[in-house]
Amino acid sequence: MKAYLRARIAQWVLRRQGRDTLPLTLRRQRLYILPSRAGVGFGVLLLFMLLAGLNYANSTALFITFLLGGFMLVAMHLCHRNLLGVRLISAIAPPTFAPRDGYLQLALESGAAANRYRIAAGVDHGQTIAADLPGGGSGQVVLPIEAPRRGRIRIDRLCLTTTHPFGLFRAWTWVHVPVEMLVYPRASGALPLPAESGRRPGVRSSREVGADEWIGLRPYRDGDSPRQVDWKAYARAAPLLVKEYAATGSELRLLRFDSLTGLQTEARLEQLARWVLDAEAAGERYGLELPGTSIPPGQGAEHRHRCLTALAVFGVDPAPRFGVDPAPRSDVIP
Amino acid sequence: MGWAAAALGGGLLLHLDRVAPWVSLVALACIAWRMTASMTRRAPLPGAVLRTLLALLLVAAVLARFQTLNGLTAGSALLILMGAVKLLETKTRRDEFVVVGTSLFLLLAACLDRQTMLRTPLYLAHGWVCCSTLAMIAYASSSPAPGAAAGPILFRGRDALSLAARSLLLAVPLAVVLFVFLPRMTGSLWALPRSEEAVTGLGDTMSPGSITRLTSSYEVAFRAHFTTHPPAPQERYWRGPVLDDFDGFTWRHRANIFARRQPLLYLGPAYRYQIWLEPSSHRWWFALDTPVEAPEARVFFSAEYELQTAEPVDELTSYVAVSHTATRAAEPLPLLARRYDTALPSDRNTRSVELARSMRARVNTDREFVHSVLEMFRTGGFAYSVTPPGLGENSVDDFLFDTRVGFCGHYASAFVALMRAAAIPARVVTGYLGGEWNPIGGYFIVRQSDAHSWAEVWLEGSGWTRVDPTAVVEPERLRRGILDLLPDAGTAPTRLLHTTPWLAALWQRWDAANAWWNARIVRFNYESQLGILERFGFDSPGARELCTAFAAGLLAWLAWVALQLGRTPAGPRPDRLGRAYLRLCRKLARAGLPRLPHQGPLAYAQVVASGRPDLTDPIGGLLHRYANLRYGRDEPMAPLRIARFEREVARLRIRPASRAAPSTGKPRPGRRGP
Repeated sequence: MKAYLRARIAQWVLRRQGRDTLPLTLRRQRLYILPSRAGVGFGVLLLFMLLAGLNYANSTALFITFLLGGFMLVAMHLCHRNLLGVRLISAIAPPTFAPRDGYLQLALESGAAANRYRIAAGVDHGQTIAADLPGGGSGQVVLPIEAPRRGRIRIDRLCLTTTHPFGLFRAWTWVHVPVEMLVYPRASGALPLPAESGRRPGVRSSREVGADEWIGLRPYRDGDSPRQVDWKAYARAAPLLVKEYAATGSELRLLRFDSLTGLQTEARLEQLARWVLDAEAAGERYGLELPGTSIPPGQGAEHRHRCLTALAVFGVDPAPRFGVDPAPRSDVIP
Repeated sequence: MGWAAAALGGGLLLHLDRVAPWVSLVALACIAWRMTASMTRRAPLPGAVLRTLLALLLVAAVLARFQTLNGLTAGSALLILMGAVKLLETKTRRDEFVVVGTSLFLLLAACLDRQTMLRTPLYLAHGWVCCSTLAMIAYASSSPAPGAAAGPILFRGRDALSLAARSLLLAVPLAVVLFVFLPRMTGSLWALPRSEEAVTGLGDTMSPGSITRLTSSYEVAFRAHFTTHPPAPQERYWRGPVLDDFDGFTWRHRANIFARRQPLLYLGPAYRYQIWLEPSSHRWWFALDTPVEAPEARVFFSAEYELQTAEPVDELTSYVAVSHTATRAAEPLPLLARRYDTALPSDRNTRSVELARSMRARVNTDREFVHSVLEMFRTGGFAYSVTPPGLGENSVDDFLFDTRVGFCGHYASAFVALMRAAAIPARVVTGYLGGEWNPIGGYFIVRQSDAHSWAEVWLEGSGWTRVDPTAVVEPERLRRGILDLLPDAGTAPTRLLHTTPWLAALWQRWDAANAWWNARIVRFNYESQLGILERFGFDSPGARELCTAFAAGLLAWLAWVALQLGRTPAGPRPDRLGRAYLRLCRKLARAGLPRLPHQGPLAYAQVVASGRPDLTDPIGGLLHRYANLRYGRDEPMAPLRIARFEREVARLRIRPASRAAPSTGKPRPGRRGP
């Protein structure tokens, strides 16, 4: 019943607000506020004080009751205002390896001259984590996301909430920004890298990693290893450059799903993930072949990500409407 | 944790002088235990079993002490103890909220107990601490990001206090509106059971022989505010219980509720006044001798012209009364009353009876007899003292023939006994005499030290006649209080107050402020509310008008607070250069080239150049200039150049591109600084 109601309310909220794009400023129309449980208790207490004050015609008790009643209303305004105008700049969930927890990183900006305290964020109805935002400054909230199995975790709805300052009210808003977190398969398996080389079967190398032929420098791109950056050049005030090596002499590995006979599908994927990491670490070029998917050989962080993604989503519905739900965390609510 | 303990400690402080010492000690011990445990982590907190046992034990202790858990004193003690035990088990935010709730309940109990002006700031301060505690609890219990707990800003206790103060101040206008206009109840739904703790005051009995030292308390009995001329000092007799049952040693009040009240002819001017009666454990209301009627229906106007209620005066009570200081009986004394008021124990005070009879035989009329007895007091070596020697069983004999020293009770007692011995109906009247005029408040303060007793005799032709034998012995007593007559009566601070004029003046001011507080604030009720509405120009206002005023006030306050707080909080204002840059960005956005949040000025220049090649030169130039002014090494923030940049941005007109349609809708102005 509770879940049903929640789902209905979530639908209504989505219809009402529509989907959001970042960066997002929290405006009045999307803020909701209700008394918290402590607030309800406080209200009941005030009601009792009012009754007692009226019954005994006790002016002091009545005045204090009225004062606290006004205080509660002011607290409501303050709570609302604490969230009003906050900016959600970005929501990023970097990929993780199952079953290690991933995280969702939210960048928040105060958007006001005064400090904001205890702006909490959570995924849907889950646990929230709070941050203080200095006036005119920003802060970030890192939410742990459980990732027990490989696949995609789609986070459809975030909740930004606060009970500051007095805990009597809870103001919150829903943010419908689809964030997808990839969960790579666990990298495990003890099999050695396949010696197979797709194109040049005759050449085998016993040379050390990194002893490849130096080709030249190219501008730094996201994902490049810091080890490859030409720091000496950077120190001479040059832009960030990356030393490029041609892995001419190195192995050209072809990591094939079909070669791993005698293993379960998940075990095969885990072994492949292990190989991808090993090959990348060894600075080798490698390609991946899965039933229905084939990734030509390559190298680098981006290539690695492509391969691991293919492994992560293998056999998983490629176009989920609201996200395939490998982890119980990502509540699938439109 | 410290804050919850502080809130509970504040609640304890409000009741510190009312609860038993062991309650305070137990509560303080619990608070100390909790604080030690949370600070050192070495002192373990009690387990669930011990806590339950402790709670049960404390409930039993309260029950044993008060025989009830109901009632203000027992209830407060129980609340304090349970709050303290709760403090021992506070772990979650909910527990701490419960402690604060308990503390607010203690505040309510304190309000119900006493609402003097002096304590009100204490109550407000306690409310403030409780509200700040709410803020600290709410802040501390919201889970911070792991590892980022020690952020650059922290909400400290100081912030909580100032925030709570600000919120409470904002709430004050609403509190005033509600206080003035929310219609009050005229009756009450239920009564609070009160404990019968003894408070000093006039009793229903008087045994002058047993008192060897009259302690005069400076405590206020009541205040009287005359709306007519006040009576002369020698007529300021405030009538209290009448004692007409004498056993030779003690005078008692006889509750003869079936006796008919003798009708009186009221002579002289009528005095109209309002009495503010302080709480006591007694059921007497006081009025100037002799009241015309009962001020309220719930007050019994007895055959002896006393005012008595069914319930003790347990809170400040005010009433309006009318009195005449001169009366004459309209009917002869009934036989039964005559018998009552001439009764004397036959085996006691025989010498006095003899004396009275011989004295009566020497004169012709009762009136002359009264005068001869008074003459005896004046010339017979009698003296006034508040420290008289004790008297034996035949108290009148002992007084008249041996000690001859006493205070009002001795003289009234002896006088009435002599009258009765001569078969003249007489009785002792107790009450107060005089009162201190407070020029600031315009009222008389009648204190416990003004307690007095005098005699009433029935004289044919005039009826009950007041005779004050003390006045014969010490005529000054009529004009001045006991403290003036006998400076060593009363406690040291009382004497100091009485002998230091400026201190006395200050005290009078303070008392006037208190009286004002009691009359205007504490006793503010439905009638006062209607009175205020009348002053605002409503004709014959009622609850409806009150509700209207209340709703209007509430709406006005809501609007005011919304104005104070509800505005979207202003973002930090960018500097001059930033404003000019934002203006440039807005102009470009209107031309269909909005700057994206991640684009710096140079990246933006590239975007502009690719989107509108025709603008590359002017716009790109401006954007580069901005980057140089802001970040450049050679011209950092040069004011003249900034001014020039501003001018050029202001002058800039971007003509719409031939193919690009002007952007629809109003672009949102960027809030961020560059």
